[in-house]
Amino acid sequence: MFKKASFLLLIVGLGLMSCSKDPISDLSNEESLVYITNHDQSANFSQYKTFSIVDSVLIVENNRAGTSLDEIDRAMLQRLITNMQNMGYKYVSKNQKPDVGINVSWITNTYLNVVSQPLSSYYGGYWGGYGYGSPSYYSYYETSESSWLISMLDFKNPQTTPSGKTFNVVWDAQIRGAAIGDQNLIDKMADSIFGQSDYLKIK
Amino acid sequence: MKRIIIIALFLGSVLPALAQEKPKLYTIASPFERYTHYLATVRYTGAVPMGSFKDNYIDKSSFQNASISIEWVLRNSPLSVGGEIGSSYFEKRVPRALYEGEDGTISAVQTRTVSQYPVELFANYLFLPKNSTVQPYIQVSGGASILDYTIYYGTLSLQDQKVRFKYGVGAGSRFLFKRDGTFGLDVRVKYDGTAYKFDYIDKGISSVSGSIGLFYRWW
Repeated sequence: MFKKASFLLLIVGLGLMSCSKDPISDLSNEESLVYITNHDQSANFSQYKTFSIVDSVLIVENNRAGTSLDEIDRAMLQRLITNMQNMGYKYVSKNQKPDVGINVSWITNTYLNVVSQPLSSYYGGYWGGYGYGSPSYYSYYETSESSWLISMLDFKNPQTTPSGKTFNVVWDAQIRGAAIGDQNLIDKMADSIFGQSDYLKIK
Repeated sequence: MKRIIIIALFLGSVLPALAQEKPKLYTIASPFERYTHYLATVRYTGAVPMGSFKDNYIDKSSFQNASISIEWVLRNSPLSVGGEIGSSYFEKRVPRALYEGEDGTISAVQTRTVSQYPVELFANYLFLPKNSTVQPYIQVSGGASILDYTIYYGTLSLQDQKVRFKYGVGAGSRFLFKRDGTFGLDVRVKYDGTAYKFDYIDKGISSVSGSIGLFYRWW
Protein backbone atom coordinates (compact mmCIF):
# COMPACT_ATOMS: atom_id res chain seq x y z
CA MET A 1 0.00 0.00 0.00
CA PHE A 2 2.74 2.38 0.92
CA LYS A 3 4.61 1.52 -2.25
CA LYS A 4 1.56 2.35 -4.27
CA ALA A 5 1.25 5.66 -2.48
CA SER A 6 4.87 6.56 -3.15
CA PHE A 7 4.35 5.79 -6.80
CA LEU A 8 1.32 8.04 -6.85
CA LEU A 9 3.37 10.72 -5.15
CA LEU A 10 5.99 10.41 -7.87
CA ILE A 11 3.39 10.80 -10.62
CA VAL A 12 1.89 13.86 -8.98
CA GLY A 13 5.41 15.19 -8.51
CA LEU A 14 6.18 14.83 -12.19
CA GLY A 15 2.86 16.48 -12.92
CA LEU A 16 3.83 19.46 -10.81
CA MET A 17 7.22 19.69 -12.50
CA SER A 18 5.86 19.61 -16.00
CA CYS A 19 3.54 22.58 -15.53
CA SER A 20 5.29 24.97 -17.87
CA LYS A 21 4.72 28.66 -17.47
CA ASP A 22 4.80 31.35 -20.08
CA PRO A 23 4.86 34.57 -18.11
CA ILE A 24 5.42 36.82 -21.12
CA SER A 25 2.59 35.58 -23.30
CA ASP A 26 0.48 38.57 -22.28
CA LEU A 27 3.04 41.21 -23.32
CA SER A 28 1.79 43.58 -25.99
CA ASN A 29 3.93 44.25 -29.08
CA GLU A 30 5.01 47.57 -27.64
CA GLU A 31 5.86 46.02 -24.27
CA SER A 32 7.99 43.35 -25.90
CA LEU A 33 10.44 45.91 -27.25
CA VAL A 34 13.79 46.39 -25.55
CA TYR A 35 15.92 49.47 -26.20
CA ILE A 36 19.60 49.27 -25.39
CA THR A 37 21.71 52.39 -25.85
CA ASN A 38 25.36 52.97 -25.16
CA HIS A 39 27.78 55.80 -25.77
CA ASP A 40 31.45 56.66 -25.66
CA GLN A 41 31.86 58.22 -22.21
CA SER A 42 34.68 60.41 -23.42
CA ALA A 43 32.80 61.83 -26.38
CA ASN A 44 31.79 65.46 -26.20
CA PHE A 45 28.65 65.72 -28.28
CA SER A 46 28.54 69.51 -28.29
CA GLN A 47 31.43 69.54 -30.78
CA TYR A 48 29.16 68.06 -33.46
CA LYS A 49 26.85 70.29 -35.43
CA THR A 50 25.83 68.42 -38.58
CA PHE A 51 24.83 64.89 -39.41
CA SER A 52 23.99 62.70 -42.33
CA ILE A 53 22.31 59.34 -42.57
CA VAL A 54 22.63 56.30 -44.81
CA ASP A 55 20.24 56.17 -47.76
CA SER A 56 19.07 52.65 -47.06
CA VAL A 57 19.11 50.08 -44.32
CA LEU A 58 21.92 47.57 -44.21
CA ILE A 59 20.60 44.04 -43.84
CA VAL A 60 23.04 41.72 -42.14
CA GLU A 61 22.07 38.11 -41.95
CA ASN A 62 24.75 35.90 -40.49
CA ASN A 63 27.61 36.42 -42.95
CA ARG A 64 25.61 37.90 -45.79
CA ALA A 65 24.86 41.57 -46.20
CA GLY A 66 22.76 43.73 -48.52
CA THR A 67 20.66 46.86 -48.42
CA SER A 68 16.97 47.42 -48.29
CA LEU A 69 14.67 50.41 -48.56
CA ASP A 70 11.12 49.29 -48.18
CA GLU A 71 8.34 51.13 -46.41
CA ILE A 72 9.42 50.23 -42.91
CA ASP A 73 13.07 51.14 -43.58
CA ARG A 74 12.08 54.50 -45.01
CA ALA A 75 9.87 55.19 -42.00
CA MET A 76 12.75 54.38 -39.66
CA LEU A 77 15.26 56.59 -41.51
CA GLN A 78 12.79 59.46 -41.62
CA ARG A 79 12.03 59.28 -37.92
CA LEU A 80 15.72 59.11 -37.02
CA ILE A 81 16.30 62.32 -39.01
CA THR A 82 13.43 64.01 -37.17
CA ASN A 83 14.85 62.97 -33.82
CA MET A 84 18.38 64.12 -34.67
CA GLN A 85 17.00 67.49 -35.74
CA ASN A 86 15.06 67.75 -32.49
CA MET A 87 18.30 67.12 -30.63
CA GLY A 88 19.78 70.15 -32.38
CA TYR A 89 21.80 68.64 -35.23
CA LYS A 90 21.63 69.97 -38.77
CA TYR A 91 20.84 67.47 -41.53
CA VAL A 92 23.26 67.72 -44.45
CA SER A 93 24.03 65.48 -47.38
CA LYS A 94 26.97 63.12 -47.09
CA ASN A 95 29.02 65.29 -49.51
CA GLN A 96 28.89 68.26 -47.17
CA LYS A 97 31.29 66.71 -44.63
CA PRO A 98 28.87 65.92 -41.80
CA ASP A 99 30.35 65.78 -38.30
CA VAL A 100 28.58 62.53 -37.52
CA GLY A 101 27.02 59.81 -39.63
CA ILE A 102 24.11 57.58 -38.70
CA ASN A 103 24.23 53.94 -39.74
CA VAL A 104 21.11 51.86 -39.65
CA SER A 105 21.19 48.07 -39.87
CA TRP A 106 18.80 45.20 -39.47
CA ILE A 107 20.70 42.27 -38.06
CA THR A 108 19.50 38.71 -38.03
CA ASN A 109 21.41 36.05 -36.22
CA THR A 110 20.44 32.50 -36.91
CA TYR A 111 21.67 29.83 -34.60
CA LEU A 112 21.77 26.24 -35.67
CA ASN A 113 21.07 23.77 -32.92
CA VAL A 114 21.89 20.13 -33.29
CA VAL A 115 20.27 17.23 -31.53
CA SER A 116 22.08 13.96 -31.83
CA GLN A 117 20.17 10.70 -32.01
CA PRO A 118 22.98 8.20 -31.78
CA LEU A 119 22.28 4.57 -32.47
CA SER A 120 23.79 2.52 -29.70
CA SER A 121 26.05 -0.37 -30.61
CA TYR A 122 24.29 -2.33 -27.90
CA TYR A 123 21.66 -3.56 -30.33
CA GLY A 124 24.38 -4.76 -32.69
CA GLY A 125 25.10 -7.50 -30.18
CA TYR A 126 21.43 -8.12 -29.52
CA TRP A 127 20.68 -8.92 -33.14
CA GLY A 128 23.59 -11.33 -33.45
CA GLY A 129 26.60 -9.14 -34.01
CA TYR A 130 26.61 -6.64 -36.82
CA GLY A 131 27.74 -3.09 -37.29
CA TYR A 132 25.70 -0.13 -38.40
CA GLY A 133 26.28 1.02 -41.94
CA SER A 134 24.80 4.45 -41.29
CA PRO A 135 26.17 7.21 -39.12
CA SER A 136 24.38 8.59 -36.09
CA TYR A 137 21.40 10.71 -36.95
CA TYR A 138 21.15 14.36 -36.17
CA SER A 139 18.17 16.65 -36.09
CA TYR A 140 18.58 20.32 -36.72
CA TYR A 141 16.45 23.19 -35.62
CA GLU A 142 17.02 26.85 -36.12
CA THR A 143 16.39 29.80 -33.91
CA SER A 144 16.83 33.31 -35.15
CA GLU A 145 16.59 36.74 -33.67
CA SER A 146 16.58 40.08 -35.43
CA SER A 147 17.40 43.50 -34.11
CA TRP A 148 17.80 47.07 -35.30
CA LEU A 149 21.24 48.50 -34.77
CA ILE A 150 21.64 52.24 -35.10
CA SER A 151 25.07 53.73 -34.64
CA MET A 152 26.56 57.19 -34.74
CA LEU A 153 30.01 57.52 -36.30
CA ASP A 154 32.41 60.32 -35.45
CA PHE A 155 33.53 61.73 -38.84
CA LYS A 156 35.08 64.77 -37.21
CA ASN A 157 37.87 62.90 -35.45
CA PRO A 158 38.94 60.02 -37.71
CA GLN A 159 41.51 57.59 -36.39
CA THR A 160 44.44 56.93 -38.63
CA THR A 161 45.57 53.34 -38.63
CA PRO A 162 48.02 51.54 -40.90
CA SER A 163 45.11 50.10 -42.87
CA GLY A 164 43.53 53.49 -43.43
CA LYS A 165 41.08 55.83 -41.77
CA THR A 166 38.56 54.49 -39.27
CA PHE A 167 35.71 56.24 -37.52
CA ASN A 168 34.77 55.67 -33.90
CA VAL A 169 31.26 54.76 -32.92
CA VAL A 170 30.30 57.35 -30.32
CA TRP A 171 26.73 56.19 -29.73
CA ASP A 172 24.76 53.13 -30.59
CA ALA A 173 21.29 51.82 -30.04
CA GLN A 174 19.86 48.34 -30.33
CA ILE A 175 16.18 47.66 -30.65
CA ARG A 176 15.26 44.09 -29.86
CA GLY A 177 12.11 42.13 -29.20
CA ALA A 178 9.35 40.28 -30.97
CA ALA A 179 7.71 43.32 -32.54
CA ILE A 180 10.64 45.17 -34.15
CA GLY A 181 9.09 44.67 -37.59
CA ASP A 182 5.83 46.32 -36.59
CA GLN A 183 5.40 49.35 -38.85
CA ASN A 184 3.08 51.08 -36.37
CA LEU A 185 5.76 51.07 -33.72
CA ILE A 186 8.63 52.48 -35.81
CA ASP A 187 8.13 56.07 -34.62
CA LYS A 188 7.91 54.91 -31.04
CA MET A 189 11.16 52.93 -31.43
CA ALA A 190 13.10 55.85 -32.88
CA ASP A 191 11.70 58.27 -30.28
CA SER A 192 12.54 55.90 -27.45
CA ILE A 193 16.22 55.42 -28.24
CA PHE A 194 16.74 59.18 -28.41
CA GLY A 195 14.47 59.74 -25.42
CA GLN A 196 16.78 57.73 -23.19
CA SER A 197 19.95 59.37 -24.53
CA ASP A 198 19.71 62.91 -23.20
CA TYR A 199 23.48 63.47 -23.52
CA LEU A 200 23.03 63.71 -27.30
CA LYS A 201 21.15 66.97 -26.95
CA ILE A 202 23.19 69.95 -28.18
CA LYS A 203 20.62 72.69 -28.05
CA MET B 1 -26.01 -38.08 25.38
CA LYS B 2 -22.98 -37.41 27.47
CA ARG B 3 -21.33 -35.81 24.51
CA ILE B 4 -24.26 -33.43 23.97
CA ILE B 5 -24.09 -32.37 27.57
CA ILE B 6 -20.40 -31.70 27.25
CA ILE B 7 -20.96 -29.62 24.11
CA ALA B 8 -23.80 -27.76 25.78
CA LEU B 9 -21.64 -27.07 28.77
CA PHE B 10 -18.83 -25.92 26.53
CA LEU B 11 -21.08 -23.59 24.59
CA GLY B 12 -22.64 -22.45 27.82
CA SER B 13 -19.30 -21.41 29.08
CA VAL B 14 -17.99 -19.94 25.84
CA LEU B 15 -20.99 -18.12 24.42
CA PRO B 16 -21.57 -15.85 27.39
CA ALA B 17 -17.90 -15.11 27.29
CA LEU B 18 -18.19 -14.12 23.60
CA ALA B 19 -21.26 -12.11 24.36
CA GLN B 20 -19.37 -10.28 27.04
CA GLU B 21 -16.41 -9.77 24.73
CA LYS B 22 -18.46 -7.89 22.15
CA PRO B 23 -19.11 -4.57 23.94
CA LYS B 24 -15.41 -4.46 24.72
CA LEU B 25 -14.63 -4.04 21.02
CA TYR B 26 -15.85 -0.48 21.28
CA THR B 27 -13.65 0.34 24.17
CA ILE B 28 -10.33 -0.61 22.63
CA ALA B 29 -8.36 2.14 20.98
CA SER B 30 -8.71 2.88 17.27
CA PRO B 31 -6.12 1.31 14.98
CA PHE B 32 -4.90 4.84 14.27
CA GLU B 33 -3.89 5.06 17.90
CA ARG B 34 -2.52 1.57 18.16
CA TYR B 35 -0.44 1.39 15.00
CA THR B 36 2.03 3.49 13.14
CA HIS B 37 -0.05 4.64 10.21
CA TYR B 38 0.33 6.59 7.00
CA LEU B 39 -1.05 9.97 6.12
CA ALA B 40 -1.06 11.73 2.76
CA THR B 41 -1.89 15.41 2.33
CA VAL B 42 -2.52 17.53 -0.75
CA ARG B 43 -2.21 21.26 -0.18
CA TYR B 44 -3.04 24.41 -2.10
CA THR B 45 -0.94 27.35 -0.96
CA GLY B 46 -0.91 31.12 -1.09
CA ALA B 47 2.46 32.72 -0.37
CA VAL B 48 3.69 36.18 0.56
CA PRO B 49 7.31 37.15 -0.23
CA MET B 50 9.45 38.28 2.70
CA GLY B 51 12.67 40.10 3.51
CA SER B 52 15.14 41.20 0.86
CA PHE B 53 13.52 38.90 -1.71
CA LYS B 54 10.43 41.04 -1.34
CA ASP B 55 12.33 44.34 -1.25
CA ASN B 56 14.62 43.68 -4.19
CA TYR B 57 12.83 41.32 -6.52
CA ILE B 58 9.18 40.32 -6.13
CA ASP B 59 6.73 41.79 -3.65
CA LYS B 60 3.63 40.29 -5.17
CA SER B 61 1.82 37.44 -3.42
CA SER B 62 1.49 34.18 -5.25
CA PHE B 63 -1.43 31.82 -5.49
CA GLN B 64 0.15 29.32 -7.85
CA ASN B 65 1.55 26.93 -5.30
CA ALA B 66 0.73 23.37 -4.37
CA SER B 67 2.31 20.45 -2.61
CA ILE B 68 1.79 16.85 -1.69
CA SER B 69 3.20 15.08 1.34
CA ILE B 70 3.25 11.63 2.76
CA GLU B 71 4.14 10.75 6.34
CA TRP B 72 4.36 8.10 9.00
CA VAL B 73 2.43 8.92 12.15
CA LEU B 74 4.52 7.07 14.70
CA ARG B 75 3.06 4.79 17.38
CA ASN B 76 3.91 5.59 21.00
CA SER B 77 5.35 8.94 20.02
CA PRO B 78 3.89 12.40 19.45
CA LEU B 79 5.84 12.66 16.20
CA SER B 80 5.18 12.09 12.55
CA VAL B 81 7.87 12.15 9.88
CA GLY B 82 7.62 12.26 6.12
CA GLY B 83 8.44 13.87 2.83
CA GLU B 84 6.85 16.68 0.85
CA ILE B 85 7.26 17.81 -2.72
CA GLY B 86 5.74 20.90 -4.16
CA SER B 87 5.73 23.66 -6.69
CA SER B 88 5.85 27.35 -6.01
CA TYR B 89 5.91 30.27 -8.40
CA PHE B 90 6.40 33.99 -7.92
CA GLU B 91 5.97 36.54 -10.68
CA LYS B 92 5.96 40.30 -11.00
CA ARG B 93 5.63 42.61 -13.97
CA VAL B 94 7.52 45.89 -13.80
CA PRO B 95 6.33 48.58 -16.25
CA ARG B 96 8.82 50.00 -18.73
CA ALA B 97 11.80 51.53 -16.97
CA LEU B 98 15.45 52.34 -17.63
CA TYR B 99 18.20 50.11 -16.29
CA GLU B 100 21.78 51.34 -16.29
CA GLY B 101 24.33 48.61 -16.77
CA GLU B 102 27.79 47.90 -18.11
CA ASP B 103 26.35 47.42 -21.57
CA GLY B 104 24.60 50.75 -21.57
CA THR B 105 21.09 51.85 -20.82
CA ILE B 106 18.33 49.33 -21.22
CA SER B 107 14.72 50.33 -21.52
CA ALA B 108 12.36 47.41 -21.07
CA VAL B 109 9.30 45.96 -19.44
CA GLN B 110 10.61 43.50 -16.87
CA THR B 111 8.90 40.26 -16.00
CA ARG B 112 10.46 38.78 -12.89
CA THR B 113 9.88 35.13 -12.07
CA VAL B 114 11.08 32.47 -9.66
CA SER B 115 9.84 28.89 -9.80
CA GLN B 116 10.75 26.38 -7.16
CA TYR B 117 10.20 22.66 -6.85
CA PRO B 118 11.04 21.92 -3.23
CA VAL B 119 11.76 18.35 -2.13
CA GLU B 120 11.76 18.18 1.66
CA LEU B 121 11.82 15.88 4.66
CA PHE B 122 9.86 17.02 7.67
CA ALA B 123 8.97 16.16 11.25
CA ASN B 124 5.73 17.14 12.95
CA TYR B 125 5.14 17.32 16.68
CA LEU B 126 1.52 16.48 17.49
CA PHE B 127 0.01 18.05 20.58
CA LEU B 128 -3.00 15.80 21.01
CA PRO B 129 -3.69 12.06 20.78
CA LYS B 130 -3.75 10.61 17.26
CA ASN B 131 -7.48 10.25 17.11
CA SER B 132 -8.68 13.61 18.34
CA THR B 133 -10.78 15.41 15.76
CA VAL B 134 -8.66 18.52 16.06
CA GLN B 135 -4.95 17.82 15.80
CA PRO B 136 -2.63 20.84 16.09
CA TYR B 137 1.01 20.37 15.14
CA ILE B 138 4.26 22.21 14.62
CA GLN B 139 6.67 21.35 11.84
CA VAL B 140 10.30 21.66 10.85
CA SER B 141 11.48 20.74 7.38
CA GLY B 142 14.63 20.73 5.32
CA GLY B 143 15.61 19.68 1.83
CA ALA B 144 16.47 20.88 -1.60
CA SER B 145 14.78 23.31 -3.91
CA ILE B 146 15.09 22.84 -7.66
CA LEU B 147 14.80 26.44 -8.66
CA ASP B 148 14.59 28.49 -11.80
CA TYR B 149 15.27 32.22 -11.81
CA THR B 150 14.17 33.82 -15.07
CA ILE B 151 13.99 37.53 -15.60
CA TYR B 152 12.61 38.82 -18.88
CA TYR B 153 13.50 42.14 -20.46
CA GLY B 154 10.68 42.38 -22.96
CA THR B 155 10.92 38.98 -24.60
CA LEU B 156 14.63 38.53 -23.91
CA SER B 157 15.43 36.42 -20.91
CA LEU B 158 18.15 35.85 -18.39
CA GLN B 159 17.88 32.47 -16.72
CA ASP B 160 19.61 30.66 -13.89
CA GLN B 161 18.76 27.16 -12.76
CA LYS B 162 20.11 25.72 -9.54
CA VAL B 163 19.44 23.21 -6.82
CA ARG B 164 19.74 24.87 -3.42
CA PHE B 165 19.25 24.07 0.27
CA LYS B 166 15.91 25.04 1.70
CA TYR B 167 14.27 24.83 5.11
CA GLY B 168 10.97 25.63 6.68
CA VAL B 169 9.16 25.98 10.00
CA GLY B 170 5.44 25.78 10.29
CA ALA B 171 2.42 25.34 12.50
CA GLY B 172 -0.91 23.92 11.57
CA SER B 173 -3.81 21.78 12.48
CA ARG B 174 -5.68 18.84 11.10
CA PHE B 175 -9.42 18.46 11.40
CA LEU B 176 -10.94 15.02 10.95
CA PHE B 177 -14.26 15.05 9.16
CA LYS B 178 -15.51 12.36 11.50
CA ARG B 179 -14.15 10.71 14.58
CA ASP B 180 -11.98 7.73 13.71
CA GLY B 181 -12.46 8.61 10.04
CA THR B 182 -9.86 8.60 7.30
CA PHE B 183 -10.38 11.97 5.62
CA GLY B 184 -9.84 15.43 6.99
CA LEU B 185 -8.87 19.02 6.45
CA ASP B 186 -5.39 20.42 6.98
CA VAL B 187 -4.47 24.07 7.48
CA ARG B 188 -0.89 25.22 7.85
CA VAL B 189 1.12 28.42 8.06
CA LYS B 190 4.76 28.02 7.11
CA TYR B 191 7.90 30.06 6.71
CA ASP B 192 10.15 28.91 3.87
CA GLY B 193 13.72 29.96 3.19
CA THR B 194 15.96 28.99 0.27
CA ALA B 195 19.67 29.79 0.17
CA TYR B 196 20.21 31.47 -3.19
CA LYS B 197 22.13 34.37 -4.63
CA PHE B 198 21.91 35.60 -8.22
CA ASP B 199 21.27 38.87 -10.02
CA TYR B 200 18.60 40.71 -8.00
CA ILE B 201 18.48 38.15 -5.21
CA ASP B 202 21.23 38.74 -2.66
CA LYS B 203 20.00 37.10 0.55
CA GLY B 204 17.97 34.10 -0.47
CA ILE B 205 14.32 33.55 -1.19
CA SER B 206 11.99 33.72 1.78
CA SER B 207 8.24 33.63 2.07
CA VAL B 208 5.39 32.98 4.45
CA SER B 209 2.65 30.80 3.12
CA GLY B 210 -0.76 29.69 4.20
CA SER B 211 -2.19 26.48 2.88
CA ILE B 212 -5.38 24.55 2.96
CA GLY B 213 -5.30 20.86 2.28
CA LEU B 214 -7.04 17.56 2.32
CA PHE B 215 -5.57 14.50 4.00
CA TYR B 216 -6.21 10.80 3.90
CA ARG B 217 -4.88 8.34 6.44
CA TRP B 218 -4.62 4.60 6.41
CA TRP B 219 -2.85 1.75 8.17
